[in-house]
Amino acid sequence: MKPARDSDTLPVPLARAAKNAARVAGKKPAPAVPGKKEETDLLSPDDREHAEKTGRPFWSGSITIGLINVPVRLYTMVRDRAFTFRLLHRADGQPLRYDRVCSRDGIVIPWADTVKGYEVRKGEFLVFEPDELKGAVPESSQKIRIDKFVSYLSLDPVYFENSYLLIPDWSEEAYSLLVAALQELGRAAAGTITLRTKEHPVVVHVYDGALVLTTLRHADEVMQPHSFAILPTLSVPKESELALAKRIIRDLSGDFSINDYPDRYREAIFALIDRKLAGEKIVYEEPHPGEAKELMQALQETIATLARK
Amino acid sequence: MVSGPDSLERISIDNLTRVRLTRLDKAMYPAGLITKGDVLMYYIRVAPLLLPFLRNRPLTLHRFPDGVEGEDFFEKDAPPGTPDFVDIFTRFSDTAGRDVHFILCNNLDTLIWIANLASLEIHTTLSTAGSSESPDLLLFDLDPEPPLQFDDVIDIAQIVREHLEDAGLQPYVKTSGKKGVHIVVPLVPGYRFREAREFVHGIGREIARTTPHAVSEFPRSRDPGTIFIDYLQNVHGKTMAAPYSLRATAGASVSAPLRWEELRHGVRPEDFNIKTMLSRHEDPWRGILEARQRL
Repeated sequence: MKPARDSDTLPVPLARAAKNAARVAGKKPAPAVPGKKEETDLLSPDDREHAEKTGRPFWSGSITIGLINVPVRLYTMVRDRAFTFRLLHRADGQPLRYDRVCSRDGIVIPWADTVKGYEVRKGEFLVFEPDELKGAVPESSQKIRIDKFVSYLSLDPVYFENSYLLIPDWSEEAYSLLVAALQELGRAAAGTITLRTKEHPVVVHVYDGALVLTTLRHADEVMQPHSFAILPTLSVPKESELALAKRIIRDLSGDFSINDYPDRYREAIFALIDRKLAGEKIVYEEPHPGEAKELMQALQETIATLARK
Repeated sequence: MVSGPDSLERISIDNLTRVRLTRLDKAMYPAGLITKGDVLMYYIRVAPLLLPFLRNRPLTLHRFPDGVEGEDFFEKDAPPGTPDFVDIFTRFSDTAGRDVHFILCNNLDTLIWIANLASLEIHTTLSTAGSSESPDLLLFDLDPEPPLQFDDVIDIAQIVREHLEDAGLQPYVKTSGKKGVHIVVPLVPGYRFREAREFVHGIGREIARTTPHAVSEFPRSRDPGTIFIDYLQNVHGKTMAAPYSLRATAGASVSAPLRWEELRHGVRPEDFNIKTMLSRHEDPWRGILEARQRL
């Protein structure tokens, strides 16, 4: 990817965004001072929780397109609501915690006595002191560097990692212009964000009137399907079967709504929790297969229809 | 509707049917991931249309325990373990040389039981139990020999329709669900199979004389590029796929009752299948058994 070099190669609305940003920037200096700000890892669950609790961004900086800067604050967008239980000691009901235990003598090791190692061969480690690693860590630049604009539809979800909400940081016009321009062109901005230890490929696209940054997996983190030998040898389906399959697909076509897919496990667990809180004893009942419920509905309707005849 | 989805939580399927449903997620058709649960769903949904037609007709089941691509077998005799709610009609069979216990599908539970046996296809005789020698349905069975296709069958079917209407009859048509069509005239009681056969053969001969590709005689029935107007199905003990029966085709097609106007060039047997049939809002064969006719 080549970085966009200057503003005259950009679409017209963005060139205007550059002017606006510059104008606004003149009124107030950019707040991003590397080192002064708390550096936070995009993927640290603690930071995410912190931002959620305090309503504070856990990163701020700017989207940089050539000479244009659009100052933004980054908010966590995805809440992992997957239900988890705590693991307890059955005898006294106390929660268990995880410790760093030395694999040789079984002793718990404090953080201060740990060091990073790379396993060269089984059981043989190359030891790195923190100072030795400093050179390899990319510099955090408080910037989301945009290299090019791509069709949002050309991005495959297999690369999507995590999404973050970008909120304008004192330059609303530049932000709003970028939203409008991306939306009208159906494009997303592709580039990188650098955080404490890692440079992440990202895309920024418009979602529900806001800019959303999605970190992407690196190419070598995603397995390519053709490493399975069976795939290139698949037979070509028969015309008639294909026609039928397409008809079935068309019959079942509709608009996607994520609300059609509630977290049934979570709902079921909370229903159990309520019952248990109310003092009920939980007895497992053999469930009907999922389909049986629909069959029951059909049966009830058919029985009613037949009764009317 | 008697009750909404909420009440479903509290009642069990055992309150609704005496059939113990098994292996609902068993794949029955290769395309479209159609399971036995889907087959049961289909037959439960079409039951209000199918049951009146099946009433008191000895059935032949065509069972596919492992789906359409697995082994299949026909079953005329009620198998061991047939539940009490299934009506049985016992009759001595000359060909089998013994009593055969025919299944009669006279209630919803029997239909569900049949579907649960993976009998994808349901075939019925052209007469009812107790009047086995006397057909109450007249059948023209039209199938194309390649390179002729369904459009060609449609042409001949419409000619058969004209001849029957000219004779003052009101014929009904359905796809066989495979390659051809079935044209049926419901009869008043008292006809013999021989009379039915001769009537169909007569019309077939007339059409064959004046229409390209149409063939009325059995020896030519498999000639390439012909359509045999089959009168030989009008025989005691022979069966046809029931209207709304699924067929064991890759596309889960259905033997679909149609309005004559629907039988136009471009329509294809596989257009009528386990998925599409449930969204049809009319029964072109409605009242067929009250519209009995004299030849």
